[in-house]
Amino acid sequence: MMQCGWPLMGPLRWLHYVNKEVKVRAGKGEEHRGWLLSVDPVSASVVLVSFGEAVAVRVVMGHAVEAVEVLRAADDETAKRLRSVFLPPPSPCLDPKELRQRRDALRQWLQENRIPVEEEGEELKVAGVLTIAAPYSGQDCRSSNQIILDRIQRLVGIQDCTNQRLPL
Amino acid sequence: MATPVPVLRLPKGPDPNSRGFDPNSPRFIALCRTSISSSAASDTDSEQLQKEQHARSVLREGFLRCLLSMTNKKVQFQMYENVKVEATFGASDIDVLNFQVSDLHTPIGVQKEALIRCQDVISFTFDV
Repeated sequence: MMQCGWPLMGPLRWLHYVNKEVKVRAGKGEEHRGWLLSVDPVSASVVLVSFGEAVAVRVVMGHAVEAVEVLRAADDETAKRLRSVFLPPPSPCLDPKELRQRRDALRQWLQENRIPVEEEGEELKVAGVLTIAAPYSGQDCRSSNQIILDRIQRLVGIQDCTNQRLPL
Repeated sequence: MATPVPVLRLPKGPDPNSRGFDPNSPRFIALCRTSISSSAASDTDSEQLQKEQHARSVLREGFLRCLLSMTNKKVQFQMYENVKVEATFGASDIDVLNFQVSDLHTPIGVQKEALIRCQDVISFTFDV
Protein backbone atom coordinates (compact mmCIF):
# COMPACT_ATOMS: atom_id res chain seq x y z
CA MET A 1 0.00 0.00 0.00
CA MET A 2 1.33 3.40 -0.91
CA GLN A 3 0.17 6.28 1.28
CA CYS A 4 0.22 9.82 -0.02
CA GLY A 5 3.67 9.39 -1.55
CA TRP A 6 2.14 8.52 -4.89
CA PRO A 7 3.10 11.71 -6.82
CA LEU A 8 6.69 11.41 -5.60
CA MET A 9 7.32 7.82 -6.59
CA GLY A 10 8.65 8.62 -10.05
CA PRO A 11 8.30 7.01 -13.46
CA LEU A 12 10.36 3.89 -12.75
CA ARG A 13 8.20 2.88 -9.82
CA TRP A 14 4.96 3.85 -11.55
CA LEU A 15 5.95 1.64 -14.45
CA HIS A 16 5.76 -1.36 -12.10
CA TYR A 17 2.04 -0.74 -11.64
CA VAL A 18 1.25 -0.83 -15.35
CA ASN A 19 -0.78 -3.86 -16.49
CA LYS A 20 -1.73 -4.68 -12.90
CA GLU A 21 -5.21 -4.72 -11.48
CA VAL A 22 -5.21 -2.13 -8.71
CA LYS A 23 -7.50 -0.65 -6.11
CA VAL A 24 -7.09 3.12 -5.82
CA ARG A 25 -8.34 5.06 -2.84
CA ALA A 26 -8.90 8.72 -3.63
CA GLY A 27 -10.46 11.93 -2.41
CA LYS A 28 -13.05 11.46 0.31
CA GLY A 29 -13.43 7.72 0.63
CA GLU A 30 -13.71 6.94 -3.07
CA GLU A 31 -12.40 3.59 -4.10
CA HIS A 32 -11.84 2.55 -7.71
CA ARG A 33 -10.74 -0.74 -9.14
CA GLY A 34 -9.38 -1.43 -12.57
CA TRP A 35 -6.46 -2.34 -14.76
CA LEU A 36 -3.79 0.32 -14.53
CA LEU A 37 -2.98 1.40 -18.05
CA SER A 38 -0.68 4.32 -17.35
CA VAL A 39 0.36 6.98 -14.86
CA ASP A 40 0.87 10.49 -16.19
CA PRO A 41 4.41 11.52 -15.20
CA VAL A 42 3.38 15.19 -15.16
CA SER A 43 0.38 14.93 -12.84
CA ALA A 44 0.71 11.38 -11.42
CA SER A 45 -2.85 10.75 -12.57
CA VAL A 46 -3.78 7.07 -12.75
CA VAL A 47 -5.56 5.68 -15.81
CA LEU A 48 -7.74 2.69 -14.92
CA VAL A 49 -9.61 0.53 -17.40
CA SER A 50 -12.44 -1.90 -16.74
CA PHE A 51 -13.82 -4.28 -19.32
CA GLY A 52 -17.55 -4.71 -19.03
CA GLU A 53 -20.29 -4.15 -21.56
CA ALA A 54 -18.30 -1.14 -22.66
CA VAL A 55 -14.67 -0.36 -21.99
CA ALA A 56 -14.89 2.11 -19.10
CA VAL A 57 -11.94 4.34 -18.30
CA ARG A 58 -11.50 6.18 -15.04
CA VAL A 59 -8.67 8.62 -14.46
CA VAL A 60 -7.87 9.45 -10.85
CA MET A 61 -6.02 12.77 -10.51
CA GLY A 62 -2.55 12.38 -9.00
CA HIS A 63 -3.14 14.97 -6.30
CA ALA A 64 -6.23 13.04 -5.10
CA VAL A 65 -4.62 9.59 -4.84
CA GLU A 66 -4.45 8.37 -1.26
CA ALA A 67 -3.38 4.78 -1.77
CA VAL A 68 -2.79 2.29 -4.58
CA GLU A 69 -2.97 -1.43 -3.86
CA VAL A 70 -1.94 -4.05 -6.38
CA LEU A 71 -4.42 -6.91 -6.64
CA ARG A 72 -3.00 -9.02 -9.43
CA ALA A 73 -1.00 -8.91 -12.65
CA ALA A 74 -2.59 -9.08 -16.08
CA ASP A 75 -2.27 -12.25 -18.10
CA ASP A 76 -0.98 -12.01 -21.67
CA GLU A 77 -4.43 -11.66 -23.19
CA THR A 78 -5.48 -8.85 -20.86
CA ALA A 79 -2.15 -7.10 -21.34
CA LYS A 80 -2.68 -7.25 -25.10
CA ARG A 81 -6.19 -5.88 -24.69
CA LEU A 82 -4.92 -3.07 -22.51
CA ARG A 83 -2.28 -2.09 -25.04
CA SER A 84 -4.93 -1.68 -27.72
CA VAL A 85 -7.54 0.27 -25.68
CA PHE A 86 -6.54 3.69 -26.93
CA LEU A 87 -5.09 2.81 -30.26
CA PRO A 88 -7.24 3.79 -33.22
CA PRO A 89 -9.01 0.84 -34.86
CA PRO A 90 -6.87 -0.55 -37.67
CA SER A 91 -7.99 1.06 -40.92
CA PRO A 92 -9.15 -1.35 -43.57
CA CYS A 93 -6.48 -1.77 -46.25
CA LEU A 94 -7.51 -0.13 -49.49
CA ASP A 95 -5.96 -1.38 -52.69
CA PRO A 96 -3.59 0.97 -54.54
CA LYS A 97 -6.15 1.77 -57.23
CA GLU A 98 -8.73 2.94 -54.70
CA LEU A 99 -6.09 4.92 -52.85
CA ARG A 100 -5.07 6.61 -56.10
CA GLN A 101 -8.70 7.47 -56.80
CA ARG A 102 -9.15 8.97 -53.35
CA ARG A 103 -5.95 10.93 -53.67
CA ASP A 104 -6.91 12.36 -57.05
CA ALA A 105 -10.41 13.20 -55.90
CA LEU A 106 -9.03 15.03 -52.87
CA ARG A 107 -6.42 16.89 -54.91
CA GLN A 108 -9.11 18.04 -57.29
CA TRP A 109 -11.37 19.14 -54.46
CA LEU A 110 -8.58 21.16 -52.86
CA GLN A 111 -7.70 22.78 -56.18
CA GLU A 112 -11.35 23.68 -56.76
CA ASN A 113 -11.17 25.45 -53.43
CA ARG A 114 -8.08 27.33 -54.60
CA ILE A 115 -5.75 25.54 -52.22
CA PRO A 116 -2.23 24.96 -53.59
CA VAL A 117 -1.59 21.22 -53.52
CA GLU A 118 1.12 19.01 -54.95
CA GLU A 119 1.65 15.31 -55.07
CA GLU A 120 4.70 14.10 -53.19
CA GLY A 121 5.02 10.38 -53.77
CA GLU A 122 2.04 8.77 -52.13
CA GLU A 123 1.18 11.89 -50.16
CA LEU A 124 -0.36 15.26 -50.90
CA LYS A 125 1.53 18.39 -49.86
CA VAL A 126 -0.72 21.35 -49.18
CA ALA A 127 0.67 24.89 -49.29
CA GLY A 128 4.08 23.45 -48.46
CA VAL A 129 3.14 23.07 -44.79
CA LEU A 130 0.59 20.27 -44.52
CA THR A 131 0.87 16.63 -45.56
CA ILE A 132 -1.99 14.28 -46.23
CA ALA A 133 -1.13 10.60 -46.22
CA ALA A 134 -3.21 7.56 -47.19
CA PRO A 135 -6.11 6.98 -46.84
CA TYR A 136 -6.56 10.76 -47.20
CA SER A 137 -9.15 11.45 -44.54
CA GLY A 138 -9.28 14.38 -42.13
CA GLN A 139 -7.38 12.32 -39.59
CA ASP A 140 -4.49 11.78 -41.99
CA CYS A 141 -3.55 15.46 -42.20
CA ARG A 142 -0.30 16.48 -40.56
CA SER A 143 0.94 20.01 -40.05
CA SER A 144 2.62 22.18 -37.46
CA ASN A 145 0.29 25.06 -38.31
CA GLN A 146 -2.92 24.62 -36.34
CA ILE A 147 -4.96 27.10 -38.32
CA ILE A 148 -4.19 25.58 -41.68
CA LEU A 149 -4.68 22.08 -40.22
CA ASP A 150 -8.11 23.01 -38.97
CA ARG A 151 -9.20 24.57 -42.27
CA ILE A 152 -7.96 21.67 -44.41
CA GLN A 153 -9.51 19.11 -42.08
CA ARG A 154 -12.84 20.86 -42.41
CA LEU A 155 -12.55 20.92 -46.18
CA VAL A 156 -11.63 17.25 -46.33
CA GLY A 157 -14.54 16.54 -44.02
CA ILE A 158 -16.98 18.34 -46.30
CA GLN A 159 -15.83 16.34 -49.28
CA ASP A 160 -16.14 13.12 -47.30
CA CYS A 161 -19.76 13.91 -46.51
CA THR A 162 -21.08 15.40 -49.72
CA ASN A 163 -19.19 13.86 -52.64
CA GLN A 164 -19.24 10.23 -53.63
CA ARG A 165 -15.89 9.47 -52.04
CA LEU A 166 -15.25 5.81 -51.38
CA PRO A 167 -16.31 5.10 -47.81
CA LEU A 168 -13.51 4.20 -45.39
CA MET B 1 -33.10 22.08 -18.42
CA ALA B 2 -30.81 23.23 -21.18
CA THR B 3 -30.75 27.03 -21.04
CA PRO B 4 -27.26 28.19 -21.92
CA VAL B 5 -25.70 30.26 -19.19
CA PRO B 6 -23.87 33.35 -20.50
CA VAL B 7 -20.14 33.53 -19.89
CA LEU B 8 -19.50 36.15 -17.24
CA ARG B 9 -15.77 36.40 -17.54
CA LEU B 10 -13.26 35.09 -20.06
CA PRO B 11 -10.47 32.95 -18.64
CA LYS B 12 -6.93 34.33 -18.58
CA GLY B 13 -4.97 33.26 -21.64
CA PRO B 14 -1.73 31.30 -21.47
CA ASP B 15 1.51 33.13 -20.78
CA PRO B 16 2.93 33.81 -24.26
CA ASN B 17 6.51 33.69 -23.02
CA SER B 18 6.67 30.27 -21.53
CA ARG B 19 5.40 26.78 -22.20
CA GLY B 20 4.60 26.19 -18.57
CA PHE B 21 7.15 23.43 -18.10
CA ASP B 22 9.93 25.81 -17.00
CA PRO B 23 9.99 25.50 -13.21
CA ASN B 24 11.16 29.10 -12.91
CA SER B 25 8.38 30.60 -14.99
CA PRO B 26 5.88 32.70 -13.04
CA ARG B 27 3.02 30.52 -14.32
CA PHE B 28 4.63 27.34 -13.05
CA ILE B 29 5.35 28.84 -9.66
CA ALA B 30 1.87 30.27 -9.34
CA LEU B 31 -0.09 27.29 -10.57
CA CYS B 32 1.99 24.15 -10.74
CA ARG B 33 2.62 23.41 -7.11
CA THR B 34 1.54 19.85 -7.70
CA SER B 35 3.33 19.34 -11.01
CA ILE B 36 6.10 16.85 -10.64
CA SER B 37 9.59 17.76 -11.80
CA SER B 38 12.02 15.13 -12.95
CA SER B 39 14.51 13.93 -10.36
CA ALA B 40 17.59 16.10 -9.96
CA ALA B 41 20.41 15.10 -12.32
CA SER B 42 22.79 14.83 -9.40
CA ASP B 43 20.68 12.10 -7.82
CA THR B 44 20.97 9.59 -10.57
CA ASP B 45 23.66 8.30 -12.85
CA SER B 46 23.15 8.64 -16.58
CA GLU B 47 21.97 5.06 -17.11
CA GLN B 48 19.36 5.41 -14.42
CA LEU B 49 18.35 8.76 -15.89
CA GLN B 50 17.98 7.18 -19.32
CA LYS B 51 15.77 4.45 -17.89
CA GLU B 52 13.72 7.04 -16.09
CA GLN B 53 13.30 9.14 -19.20
CA HIS B 54 12.24 6.10 -21.19
CA ALA B 55 9.70 5.20 -18.52
CA ARG B 56 8.52 8.79 -18.46
CA SER B 57 7.90 8.85 -22.23
CA VAL B 58 6.11 5.50 -22.25
CA LEU B 59 3.84 6.60 -19.42
CA ARG B 60 3.19 10.02 -20.89
CA GLU B 61 2.36 8.57 -24.29
CA GLY B 62 -0.19 6.25 -22.67
CA PHE B 63 -1.75 9.17 -20.86
CA LEU B 64 -1.84 11.39 -23.95
CA ARG B 65 -3.54 8.65 -25.94
CA CYS B 66 -6.12 8.46 -23.17
CA LEU B 67 -6.75 12.20 -23.44
CA LEU B 68 -6.92 11.93 -27.23
CA SER B 69 -9.55 9.22 -27.11
CA MET B 70 -11.55 11.35 -24.69
CA THR B 71 -12.03 14.26 -27.10
CA ASN B 72 -15.65 14.99 -27.96
CA LYS B 73 -16.87 12.28 -25.63
CA LYS B 74 -19.15 12.74 -22.63
CA VAL B 75 -17.12 12.65 -19.45
CA GLN B 76 -18.38 12.54 -15.87
CA PHE B 77 -16.23 14.52 -13.43
CA GLN B 78 -16.16 13.65 -9.77
CA MET B 79 -15.11 16.77 -7.89
CA TYR B 80 -14.61 17.69 -4.25
CA GLU B 81 -17.60 18.56 -2.04
CA ASN B 82 -19.54 15.69 -3.61
CA VAL B 83 -20.00 17.57 -6.88
CA LYS B 84 -20.62 15.46 -9.98
CA VAL B 85 -20.82 17.14 -13.38
CA GLU B 86 -20.98 15.92 -16.93
CA ALA B 87 -19.46 17.62 -19.95
CA THR B 88 -18.06 16.97 -23.38
CA PHE B 89 -14.30 16.87 -23.20
CA GLY B 90 -12.38 19.29 -25.40
CA ALA B 91 -8.73 19.50 -24.44
CA SER B 92 -6.25 19.58 -21.61
CA ASP B 93 -3.33 21.94 -21.12
CA ILE B 94 0.20 20.59 -21.12
CA ASP B 95 0.62 20.32 -17.34
CA VAL B 96 -2.86 18.87 -16.79
CA LEU B 97 -4.00 21.85 -14.78
CA ASN B 98 -7.12 22.76 -16.72
CA PHE B 99 -9.56 20.92 -18.94
CA GLN B 100 -11.49 22.71 -21.64
CA VAL B 101 -15.00 21.30 -21.90
CA SER B 102 -18.25 22.08 -23.71
CA ASP B 103 -21.85 21.66 -22.57
CA LEU B 104 -21.00 21.49 -18.92
CA HIS B 105 -24.14 20.44 -17.07
CA THR B 106 -24.25 22.27 -13.76
CA PRO B 107 -27.08 22.61 -11.23
CA ILE B 108 -27.72 26.15 -12.50
CA GLY B 109 -27.76 25.36 -16.19
CA VAL B 110 -25.67 24.24 -19.11
CA GLN B 111 -22.44 26.18 -19.61
CA LYS B 112 -21.67 26.14 -23.30
CA GLU B 113 -17.89 26.36 -22.84
CA ALA B 114 -15.95 26.07 -19.60
CA LEU B 115 -12.57 25.47 -18.05
CA ILE B 116 -12.42 22.93 -15.27
CA ARG B 117 -9.58 23.27 -12.80
CA CYS B 118 -7.93 19.89 -12.38
CA GLN B 119 -7.17 20.75 -8.77
CA ASP B 120 -10.91 20.54 -8.11
CA VAL B 121 -11.29 17.13 -9.74
CA ILE B 122 -10.87 13.87 -7.87
CA SER B 123 -11.50 11.57 -10.82
CA PHE B 124 -13.32 11.44 -14.11
CA THR B 125 -14.71 8.65 -16.20
CA PHE B 126 -15.83 7.93 -19.75
CA ASP B 127 -16.58 5.02 -22.04
CA VAL B 128 -14.21 4.34 -24.90
